[in-house]
Amino acid sequence: MAREKIYLEEVFPSPFMQLWGIFRKTPVAMIGFCCFIFLILLAIFAPILAPYTPVDGNLEMILLPPAWHTDGNVSYLLGTDELGRDMLSRLMYGTSLTFGLSFIVVIFSLVIGVVIGSLSALTRGLKSSFLNHFLDVVLSIPSLLLAIIIVAILGPGISNTVWAIAIVFIPQFIHITRYAVKEEFRKDYVLASRLDGASNFRILYYSVFPNIVERLMSQATLAQSAAILDIATLGFLGLGAQIPLPEWGAILANGLERFYIAPWTVYLPGLAILFAVVATNLVGEGIRHALKLRKEN
Amino acid sequence: MLTFTLRRLSLFIFTMLVLTLLSFSLSFLFPGDTVINHSGQINATATELAHLNQVYQMDKSIFNQYGAYLTHILNGDFGQSMASQSPISNEIIKLLPATIELSLVALLIAMLVGIPLGFIAAIKHNKTSDNVILSLAMLGYSIPVFWLGLLAILVFSIGLGWLPSAGQISLLFEIEFVTGIQFFDILLSDSPYKWQAFRDASAHMILPACVIALAPATIFIRLSRASMIEVLAASYIRAARAKGLSFQQIIFRHAIRNALIQIIRHVGLQFANLVTIAMVTEVIFSWPGIGRWLIDSIYQRDYTAIQSGLLVLSCFIFIVHILTDFIYAALNPLARGNNHGS
Repeated sequence: MAREKIYLEEVFPSPFMQLWGIFRKTPVAMIGFCCFIFLILLAIFAPILAPYTPVDGNLEMILLPPAWHTDGNVSYLLGTDELGRDMLSRLMYGTSLTFGLSFIVVIFSLVIGVVIGSLSALTRGLKSSFLNHFLDVVLSIPSLLLAIIIVAILGPGISNTVWAIAIVFIPQFIHITRYAVKEEFRKDYVLASRLDGASNFRILYYSVFPNIVERLMSQATLAQSAAILDIATLGFLGLGAQIPLPEWGAILANGLERFYIAPWTVYLPGLAILFAVVATNLVGEGIRHALKLRKEN
Repeated sequence: MLTFTLRRLSLFIFTMLVLTLLSFSLSFLFPGDTVINHSGQINATATELAHLNQVYQMDKSIFNQYGAYLTHILNGDFGQSMASQSPISNEIIKLLPATIELSLVALLIAMLVGIPLGFIAAIKHNKTSDNVILSLAMLGYSIPVFWLGLLAILVFSIGLGWLPSAGQISLLFEIEFVTGIQFFDILLSDSPYKWQAFRDASAHMILPACVIALAPATIFIRLSRASMIEVLAASYIRAARAKGLSFQQIIFRHAIRNALIQIIRHVGLQFANLVTIAMVTEVIFSWPGIGRWLIDSIYQRDYTAIQSGLLVLSCFIFIVHILTDFIYAALNPLARGNNHGS
């Protein structure tokens, strides 16, 4: 039989592309992934897409129920709050605060955690044992409690919340990177490149990282769903985003006083948080599922 | 077992050192004067201030200061609350039992609901009921707890009127403070309305405990499902099946015991998560616990209360963590030989 591709190298998909191939075939994971992309786009383009500004109120349209309600007005699709601010616009702008910031927080702590974690994986003995115990201590303090303490030091506000949550998530990433890198370093392919004379840094960068990147991504989605919940919780407690900012948790806390007469100001932001967290978790679940299948093959 | 105990003990001491060091350094990080942050005496006169400076050894090196702070903590002196000017240790003794009670009941509910569901999902692996349980677990894991609490109040307290929405017990009942754990206090008291009080306290407990339990329960579902699937794939299960044991005998005599051991190991880790959720829930349900007190003290900028609250709560979490480690080691001989830093 004639081999037409004789001069072309046979393409063998990289671990990452194999993962994507399996991931793509899971419908639930793809739905989650689409929702995730949708939220990212919304977070970036909210100012263009939103029909109104999130802070300007229309005092003639106070506490309007959503449009499907008999008293609703279709130009305010999801109703208005007690100052006549459009709920839809506020929720859209809130995407960039709650969801967008959680994304940035996770990337920030991922980078720092991976650097510290992979460096610490190369240490041994007393230093390593000390770090391990120290991480155990930090991880045993609940993340929200630690974030609250950091906010108490820095003072309330959205930027301080972001710092607090980023700091809180770093130990998790250190822990998982360290564990993963140590596990990879025991394998034979690392020994092979070490025999070739590769330095530790080179092994880390070219051999180990491509093999642990999916595990880090799976941890990152877990961290992001926790980050969304933490940002919203701090906003709800009044320690995060301050009054005019349309952060989902803060909107919810704001609607609390009129919970009984205007329930949509409470359940809509809650649904938005739920949607974002479910989308993130579906993506994470899809990655873990694909990882498991790839390992089995 | 002895080396295991010693190892845990050393970990415990190390942890306590780090935690006290953390709360000690908070006094420097918080705004205001360090010695006032330590002691909480905001209205101290010049002579009192001089005395405090001497007691906390503020003129000596930082190590002496830490030593002085540690001595105070070990003597049970956390300083005064900046907001109420009463000793913090008294407030903590009053508030901590309520939190312990709530979180332990929630943990119990989470385990009693989550573990059997996880086992069912594992036994029906890859069937419809497995998928339904898993999707419910994911939904439960994703719900923000404050929202869930509000919805629960809206439905069960306001809408249906079945359960009270706030507090630990109705104010009509006068229960003497003995242990602080409401249920014990009621049983110890000699009030003629003991059983009514008991029922009232249980009714107050149901909503917050269930709200707290939801997220940990979903994690228990996943954990028990994973460990059950692993156990069911083991060779000794196949051997038991080959011996001709019935399906129920295999599950109840062999599989569940081995699967449970793996879950107990994770209870301690999940407890930290549960306490965080409990803090937020306490705020929503006005539960007189340490979580609500801690969040209130942030609003009031009560720095002494914040640092002592952090110390006490994380101590409590860590003690539970170590206890579950011990239970795990007692049940599973394989875990005792596990060495440090692995």
